[in-house]
Amino acid sequence: MDSEENARKRLKVRRLRFYRWMLTEIEREIDLHPGYADLRNQLGLLLMVGGETEKAEIHLLEALRLNPKYLEATLNLGFLYVETERWEEAEEILLLEVKKHPKDAFLYHILGILYLQTGRLKQAAAQIHKAIQFHSYYRDYYSKKGVWQKGVVQLDPKAERVAKKIHWNHTHAQFHNFVGLYLAKKGKSTQAVQELRKATRLKPDEFVFHANLGTVHTYQGVYPKAIQEFQEALKIDPFYGMGYANLSYVYGLMCRTREALRCMKTAVRINPQYADLHYNLALLYSDRRRYEEAAFELKKALRINSSYLFARINLGVLYEDQERWKEARREYRKILRITPEDQHIRKRLERIS
Amino acid sequence: MLKEDFVIQSNVRQVLIRSNIDYSRITFGTVKGVVYLRGIFKSARFHTDGSGEGAANFAIKSLESLEKKIKGIPGVIDIEFELTNWKKAGGQWTPKKMQENG
Repeated sequence: MDSEENARKRLKVRRLRFYRWMLTEIEREIDLHPGYADLRNQLGLLLMVGGETEKAEIHLLEALRLNPKYLEATLNLGFLYVETERWEEAEEILLLEVKKHPKDAFLYHILGILYLQTGRLKQAAAQIHKAIQFHSYYRDYYSKKGVWQKGVVQLDPKAERVAKKIHWNHTHAQFHNFVGLYLAKKGKSTQAVQELRKATRLKPDEFVFHANLGTVHTYQGVYPKAIQEFQEALKIDPFYGMGYANLSYVYGLMCRTREALRCMKTAVRINPQYADLHYNLALLYSDRRRYEEAAFELKKALRINSSYLFARINLGVLYEDQERWKEARREYRKILRITPEDQHIRKRLERIS
Repeated sequence: MLKEDFVIQSNVRQVLIRSNIDYSRITFGTVKGVVYLRGIFKSARFHTDGSGEGAANFAIKSLESLEKKIKGIPGVIDIEFELTNWKKAGGQWTPKKMQENG
């Protein structure tokens, strides 16, 4: 019988093999797409978590050279400098980002760690205070750990450990999220869910992790779980418009169109510039015979994208349903000008001409 | 009985996501149970011997499978394909241009 020690060793070897496999896969993708900043960032993150900090830095810097506004890559580079105790470089990067994102609690939190580790306690307390001010997650966390007491940041040796744990959780959560997405892309959805779950456990306040989990559950056809995750993501970020759209599609798959309509309306309100969302909202109205509202949404979709063919087809059919023949013919003719070979539309036009 | 177009549309999206085609190049719509698909058909993965003929056969199988799955969605009464690189004539899929085969 295997000892616990042997089982642990086997797990470590498996993880190492998996790590190497992922490295090779991403390196291959970089060979194919050398100009993709996100691939460089992913490789950098992977190398950083794997402890290969020098190589990680090269790829993160390359990601930022390709896209100087890439926040995730900047943060990863900042973490890397904190981890390798290159305080000045880390501080420079983080202060620059704070200027660009003055309400990002996580940036203040990382600055807090940095000052804590360099013995600048007063500055550390000020930054942690700001992190707590801008996101309730840090208030809850620091309160639970006794660092935030009666509106004051209490810094002692324990505080450093506590703060560092959140920081590591962030990096590892990003890592698991990335691995999860990678596995999902390769069609390994069960493993992807496991990785994404790890990410949400490490950093429960990150809406992207829940949204990704929702997407993978949708792919798997596990709709109640998908709904739960999208709702969780929306609780964290109520302005995540595509979250409402995805939720609407899941309700559609479950034939729960009343809820789908409610969600799609919100998605459109948040992202009024997305023609596709207007189109889907129009379908929901049309299915409920709310033709005026459906036509209104289709016209909006066409104003955003005048060559949105399906929106025009639906609009033509909608006019037909209402016996507005002239308008229906006008839409069909416009379609045939774009796609003269469309026999389906040609027949429809002939029928009402 | 006609199914709701939005339900069909959601199912088509799900079929495309689960298929082995590059769905970012395909747009789709649903009108009274008729599903429209337009764009460039391209496989996201290859399972062939690497030859041009192998790739074309794989693309044909993928197209047939896609068609079957969409037709299997309750409420779908017809599919209209308007693909840039493939056409269906006489019940057979044929490439419009060999070099664009997916």
